[in-house]
Amino acid sequence: MVIDKGNGAPDGRAGASPAGGGLYSDQHLRVSDAEREAATGRLAEHFAAGRLDQAEFDDRVGRAMSARTRADLNGLFADLSETGSPGVPELPRGGGSTPGGGPRGPGSPIEFRLDAASGVPTYLQLVQQVEHALRLGYLKPGDQLPKVRDVVASLAINPNTVLKAYRELETKGLTAGRPGQGTFIQATLSQVTLPDLTGLHKSLLGWLTTAEAAGLDQDGIVALFTSALRDFHERRGGTGDRRGAASAETEGVA
Amino acid sequence: MNVIETSGLGKRYGSTWVLHECTLAIPAGHVAALVGPNGAGKTTLLNLAVGLVDPTAGAVTVLGGKPAGSPAALDGIAFVGQDMPLYKNLTAADMLHLTANLNRRFDQHFAEARLGELGIPLNRKAGRLSGGQQAQLALTVALARRPRLLVLDEPVAMLDPLARHDFMATVLAAAADDGMSVVLSSHVLAELERVADYLILLSRGRVQVAGEVEDLLASHRMLTGPAAEASQYAERPVVHVRRGAAQAHVLVRATVDDPVPPGWEAHPVGLEELTLAYLREPGAGALPGPARSRDTQPSEVTR
Repeated sequence: MVIDKGNGAPDGRAGASPAGGGLYSDQHLRVSDAEREAATGRLAEHFAAGRLDQAEFDDRVGRAMSARTRADLNGLFADLSETGSPGVPELPRGGGSTPGGGPRGPGSPIEFRLDAASGVPTYLQLVQQVEHALRLGYLKPGDQLPKVRDVVASLAINPNTVLKAYRELETKGLTAGRPGQGTFIQATLSQVTLPDLTGLHKSLLGWLTTAEAAGLDQDGIVALFTSALRDFHERRGGTGDRRGAASAETEGVA
Repeated sequence: MNVIETSGLGKRYGSTWVLHECTLAIPAGHVAALVGPNGAGKTTLLNLAVGLVDPTAGAVTVLGGKPAGSPAALDGIAFVGQDMPLYKNLTAADMLHLTANLNRRFDQHFAEARLGELGIPLNRKAGRLSGGQQAQLALTVALARRPRLLVLDEPVAMLDPLARHDFMATVLAAAADDGMSVVLSSHVLAELERVADYLILLSRGRVQVAGEVEDLLASHRMLTGPAAEASQYAERPVVHVRRGAAQAHVLVRATVDDPVPPGWEAHPVGLEELTLAYLREPGAGALPGPARSRDTQPSEVTR
């Protein structure tokens, strides 16, 4: 049996994974969106397996999406082993694990995704994701939203859908278009501070315990919460008149 | 401008009319989906529009009144047929060379750059490429002609989900880049909602529904209520009724502002649900006012 002695890697590992430098051959070749997405998918697997933390993952996905050549893509996996079974020790985190991974490159700090099963219209999903990213601090005033063409190319959706979402964000005063450059964040959404969030989370857990004790299963809890949320929004979404009328009614009853 | 306009268009093979009295106008700047059951006449309509087939009756023009099949029309249209039309024994480079020489306009630089991005080797024979790569090669050849209208007949039917996604992404990015209009026929209803913003539903050789997706969705509501009252509900045109013993779902032409009868609930509908309802009711129709004849000014869509 002839074993290739050129590579010092242990036998099993070399067989299972072509990782290291040669994952994508022809280093100088330009990469396609499909390859970028495939790379993103593989990064997600590494993230799911615990080999990358959130910040590293976000950073590398950003670099994958802006990768131009195969060498760029390979760089993302240079320190990641593909053989990862749960028992394999994790790679050192932080520190030098993201070579050259400084601040974000040009382009947008966020990427859109679509959930076909959500029933939410596509344009609204894009709007909500921007709002969500604003709330969580992924987007700040001055940041650029992905270019319309890039969103179209990465999600395979109608260009008019993206335009509609961006118009809606502009109408809401969250973004502003700069001719020839793109769409930029110009306002921020009120962010809840972390201590507040923890407190709210705790009180929600308390409520969940009560709900379970009362005999509600998970679906029942979701249904109740959704219905309460809708009532809450409807009541709040009404005009001042309606609120006035409602309180007058209550007074009348009282 | 209308990218495809037909009036009284018909095509007969032997004694069978595969397309009959077809009158429609597809405005420019859209990704229009042509939907319908097998044998509804989709491929025939597309073949008539690109000039591969001559009409038996009526007329079809493209790109603002140019007769289908005329040199001026062919210059602005690219067509990719169902079977990914490639010469299987030619290499990708030869396909580009051939197309460049057969057309007045061909962007060789774009084509080579695109194939490079896709990782399709120029020296490989088309027949030895994967299905997804063949589709992308056919599409690249079509796009390199810089058409103002791209016509696709069942473009993704044979592709796996990833290849399908990448194919549509290429089409839509090209539409976003230079405002190219797209007309495509498809069976994949679930994907249409993301891709198309104009819908034409063909049934038994006739146009059943035509319009902007946004308008169609805004003008239809699904009403849910007691089955006993379903047949009495006649305030708005009813498209389709699904009835259980106690409960019925009635698809009606109504907007958010139309009153909902007491005891009934109104929900918005999705494109797939709407399309299926019309496919089940070949008698129902939703057509825009204009597009009757060519001298009436078509309602230009401002957006």
